[in-house]
Amino acid sequence: MTTRRKVLLGGAGVLALGVGGLSGRRLWLDREPAALPATDAQGRVVWQNWSGLEHSYPALRAAPASDAELAELLRTAPAPIRPVGAGHSFTALVPTEGTLLSLDRMTGLVSHDAAAMTATVRAGTRLSALGPALAAIGQEMPNLPDINKQTLAGAMATGTHGTGKGLTALHGEVTALKLVTPAGEVIECSRDSRLELFHSARVGLGAFGVLTEVTLANKPLTRVRKEVRLVDTDTLLNDWPALAARHRNAEFLVLPFTGKSALITHEVTDEPVRPRGPDQDADTLMSLKTLRDAFEFTPGLRKRLASAALEDIPPEIAIDEGWKLLSNERPVRFKEMEYHVPIDQQVGALKEIIARIERDATDVFFPIEARIIAPDDAWLSPFYGRESGSIAVHAYYKEAHDWMARLVEPVLREAGGRPHWGKLHSLGAAELAALYPQFAEANAVRRSLDPQGRMMNLFLKKIFG
Amino acid sequence: MRRLFFALPLALAACEAPPQPLTPEQSAALKPADAKLAALYEGSCKACHTVADSGAPLTGDRTQWDARWAKGEDVLLQHAQVGFGAMPAGGQCFTCTPADHAALIRFMAGRTQ
Repeated sequence: MTTRRKVLLGGAGVLALGVGGLSGRRLWLDREPAALPATDAQGRVVWQNWSGLEHSYPALRAAPASDAELAELLRTAPAPIRPVGAGHSFTALVPTEGTLLSLDRMTGLVSHDAAAMTATVRAGTRLSALGPALAAIGQEMPNLPDINKQTLAGAMATGTHGTGKGLTALHGEVTALKLVTPAGEVIECSRDSRLELFHSARVGLGAFGVLTEVTLANKPLTRVRKEVRLVDTDTLLNDWPALAARHRNAEFLVLPFTGKSALITHEVTDEPVRPRGPDQDADTLMSLKTLRDAFEFTPGLRKRLASAALEDIPPEIAIDEGWKLLSNERPVRFKEMEYHVPIDQQVGALKEIIARIERDATDVFFPIEARIIAPDDAWLSPFYGRESGSIAVHAYYKEAHDWMARLVEPVLREAGGRPHWGKLHSLGAAELAALYPQFAEANAVRRSLDPQGRMMNLFLKKIFG
Repeated sequence: MRRLFFALPLALAACEAPPQPLTPEQSAALKPADAKLAALYEGSCKACHTVADSGAPLTGDRTQWDARWAKGEDVLLQHAQVGFGAMPAGGQCFTCTPADHAALIRFMAGRTQ
C-alpha cells in the first residue's frame, strides 16, 4: 500500500541530485546542540526542558508523596519553588535555582462516580497513564491534546488543549480542585466553594500553589475513527469552518512549501477496531527536512516536486478507543510558538503566516498546526469567553527559531491572539492584562496566596508584573 | 591452564543465546525489582521506552540496546542527564539522581533483573 512515508521518501530519493552541494552545510547545521554541564560548580544536577531551550541547576529536588509533605515543602523549601510536570513547556515556567518540585509520587485514580461520570485523579498523573486508568472504569476525558506525556497538573496549568468544535481545553471539564497553597494550606475549591480560587487556579501557571487532586467531568468510553488525509491547502482553508463544524475533532497541519496539508479528523463510531499502524509522522517530517535540505534555495522547485510526490496518497484510517488515537508520539524534538486567536481571525492569520514563511523563512520544514477550541470561564484561560482558533509553528530542536518572533508573532498579535502559556511568546504583564479581562483579579488572588512571591521565578515575574 | 582461562569466557559467550527482539507488550511487562527504581521507572522512562513509535529503544530489548551499551555506561548516563537526539534531558525523571539514572539505564539495557 502506498503510504505518505514511501511516497515522500521515494520523492526525496529522486531529488538527491540537489543534496550534493548543500550536504556539507547541512552536516554543520545538523550537529547536536552543545551539551550543558551535567552538574554545576556546587554539584547540582542540571534540569532541562523537553525541547532543550530552558535549563537550571536547582538546589533542591523534591517529590512529596502526600498533601502534608507538600505543605511542609512549600513552607520551608528554598525559593523559588517551581513545580515541574513532564517539562514539555517551551517557556521558562520551570527554571529555578531553588526547589524543583515533582508530583511523580502523587499519581493515580482517587475515586470515581459511575453515575455522575466523574473521576477524581491525583494531579501528578501523566495523561498517558490516565487514559487507560479511566478506560478501566468505562470513562474517558472528553478531549485530549496532541501529546500525552504531560502530567494532568502541568497540562492544566498551561491551558493545554486538543481540538474540536464545542470541545473545551482540558481545564474546561474540571469540576473541583484540591491545591496546597504557598503558605501550606490545603484548599478544595469548585463552583460552590472558593469560586475565585477555582477560576484562578484551573489555569494557574503553577503560581497559585500546587494542585494535588482534580475532579474531571468525563464521558462514557467511546470508540473513534481517526482519518488522516492529504488535501490542497487552499481548498482546506476555504472549507475549514464547515469542516470544523462537521467533525467531532478536526485539525490540520499545513506542510509549508508543498501546497498540501494533512487534515486529521475523529468521529465516534461502532465500527470494528482497526489499530493504528506504525507511526509515519516522524518519517514524513524527516522527509520534509530532506526536501528542505536539498531545495531550500529554490522554493518554487521544492513546492512542485513535493506537491507531485504527495498526490493520490490514500487516507490513513485507524479505529480504536479515543485515548489511543487522539494523542500521538512525537519522537522528534522541536520548539513551538502557539497563539489562540478569535475563531473568525484564524484563517486570515494563517494565510498571512504561510505567505510570510514561504517568502522569508525558507529553512522552515515543520508543519503549521491549526486547531479549534470552545470557550470557558477560567480567568487565565487563553479561551476565556471566546471560541478560539489556534495556530502553532514549530522549529527543529537543533535549528534557529528567531523567525517565529520576527514573522509570526506580529500576525498573531494583530489578530488579537492570546499565547499558549507553555509555548514561546514575548508578552509581559501589560500586554497580557489587555488580553485577559480578569487578569487583575487573578493576579490579586495570586498575591493573596503568595505575598512573598515564593513561587515566582524570573519568567513569572515578567508575566505577573 | 592459562589457555583454559582465556577460552572459558569465550565458550560461555558462545553458549549465550543471541538476543531476541521484544514486542512492546513484552517490554511493558518488565519492571525493576527495586521498589524505588520501579516507581521512578513507571513514572517516567516507561512512557517512551515501551512504545515502539516513540523511537526510544524498548526496555529489555537487547537487539536495540546492545549497540548503545557498547558506547559505555558513562556516555549513556551523560545522554540521559543532558539529552541527546530524541532523548530529553533527564528522561522526564526530574527527581532521579545520577545513580538512579545509571541503574535505570542498566535495567532498560537488559543488564539487570
